[in-house]
Amino acid sequence: MESHQILVVDDDPITARFIASLLQEHGYDVLVAEDGAHALEIVERHELAMVVSDLVMPYRDGYSVLRAIRRNEKYRDLPVLLLSMRDREEDIVKGLEEGADDYVIKPFNARELMARIRKILRTRKVS
Amino acid sequence: MQQILVWAILSISSVFMALTIAIVANKAWRETRAAGRARRRRELEPTILGWAHGDEKTIRAALEGDPSPPDRVVVEQILLDHIQRVRGIERERMAKAMEQLGFVDVYLEGLESRRWWRRAESAEKLGLAGSKRAIQPLSSALDDEMPEVRLRAAKALGQLGGVASARKLVRALNEPNRWSTIRVADILIGMGHESIHAVIEAFDELSHDGQLAVLDIVGRVRPLSATEWLLSKASNDSTDIRARACHALGSIGDPHVTPQLVSALDDPKWPVRAMAAKALGRMLMVEAVPELAEALRDKQWWVRHNAARALRTIGPRGLEALEEMVADRDAFAREQAVLMLEEAGRVDERAIELAEEDTAAREAARTFFERVVAAGVTGRIRVLAREHPVDSVRRELLTLLPREAV
Repeated sequence: MESHQILVVDDDPITARFIASLLQEHGYDVLVAEDGAHALEIVERHELAMVVSDLVMPYRDGYSVLRAIRRNEKYRDLPVLLLSMRDREEDIVKGLEEGADDYVIKPFNARELMARIRKILRTRKVS
Repeated sequence: MQQILVWAILSISSVFMALTIAIVANKAWRETRAAGRARRRRELEPTILGWAHGDEKTIRAALEGDPSPPDRVVVEQILLDHIQRVRGIERERMAKAMEQLGFVDVYLEGLESRRWWRRAESAEKLGLAGSKRAIQPLSSALDDEMPEVRLRAAKALGQLGGVASARKLVRALNEPNRWSTIRVADILIGMGHESIHAVIEAFDELSHDGQLAVLDIVGRVRPLSATEWLLSKASNDSTDIRARACHALGSIGDPHVTPQLVSALDDPKWPVRAMAAKALGRMLMVEAVPELAEALRDKQWWVRHNAARALRTIGPRGLEALEEMVADRDAFAREQAVLMLEEAGRVDERAIELAEEDTAAREAARTFFERVVAAGVTGRIRVLAREHPVDSVRRELLTLLPREAV
């Protein structure tokens, strides 16, 4: 069965709650992790449709979460969207080259974020 | 005497007891209030966010009326927390909610407060609330007697954005005794293209330092539309203005300005020549390679250095020009060319060619090293002669180095 669960990873609880509420508004089930290590535990235990992760976090940052996901045979195809205040070209390029499906800069436009999430999910569904 | 002592001890104990009770009661009251607010926040936040994501007209309808005074504090905090984390329609809707619930009016009143910290806090919240009504009062707050209030008002105007806000902020560039020019310039840069019209419009009325700040702002925001205006400044009477205009032109990167930047390499003042060289490098102007090579002979070190770096940045054609300049008649040009080739790793690449089987390639590499040695900059060659992993390369380099250098 197709999963509608999206994992939101952000050490800022306010941002995490905002994204969670946005996703719930669009009919998705949402799980929230406050750091990279917790996020990977959730990825291991749940059948997810996608991960929306912050970049700068304690313990394991967004790049590290992304690398761990891409290295694991079991969920290497799980879509990951990175979300960050880092707007430098090198950060964006690094995120995409590490295997992120998209990179959105904070503060973000909620509707644009939703459109990008839907596009990623649509593309994965087709492929 | 004993009785007095007993009374004194009892009095002091009573005072301590009363103080302890007051502190404990106050802490308990604060914690209860915080817990109550956290609980209300958990209840109200989904409603407010749901309203922000939706299309219902008023926040009052979503909250089923005006929030009670204790709830107002919670609602205000929710809106302030989320509004700074998003852009677009959600942000606009939350700003509208702040207007509808009267928070903006409260902040506008707060700007008139006698307490400076309240004025500062109100200015900051007005920036977050995003009400265009606040532009005029915040502009007045730019003249506040307290620096903290002025700064928060300036940041708030930057957050509100728009040409009107930018115009008010540009004024601050003219008051270096009251403002940090760098901070104001940063706020204007943060406003992006919206600030450009205002800063260009105000340029002629600004002090010299203010004008330099404007050129830096234009260079950082990089609007293509400002190219013509910058070109006019590249022929200004002031050396600093010409130099910064060249720098900004390089940041924007419009290739049409190449002839003017090439001409600026002959400017009588070295800061202009140095900035023109840097700009041509940033723009990767292959057409300017001959003139940049010529600039390696400049009598000022900064110009030579920027020209050499520009040639390196331009790529293969620039590196070729640097290699040719190794044998130049001018000693400064030779030195700068070798130093940049070393930095670019070209000297190391050439060293490997000394071990090539192809005789022509080996001879070309040898000629290159003979020229470098003749230029008198042998630092890297000496290192390679000692540490290169290939024996034949080390031996070859040792034969090329003068005896005293070995």
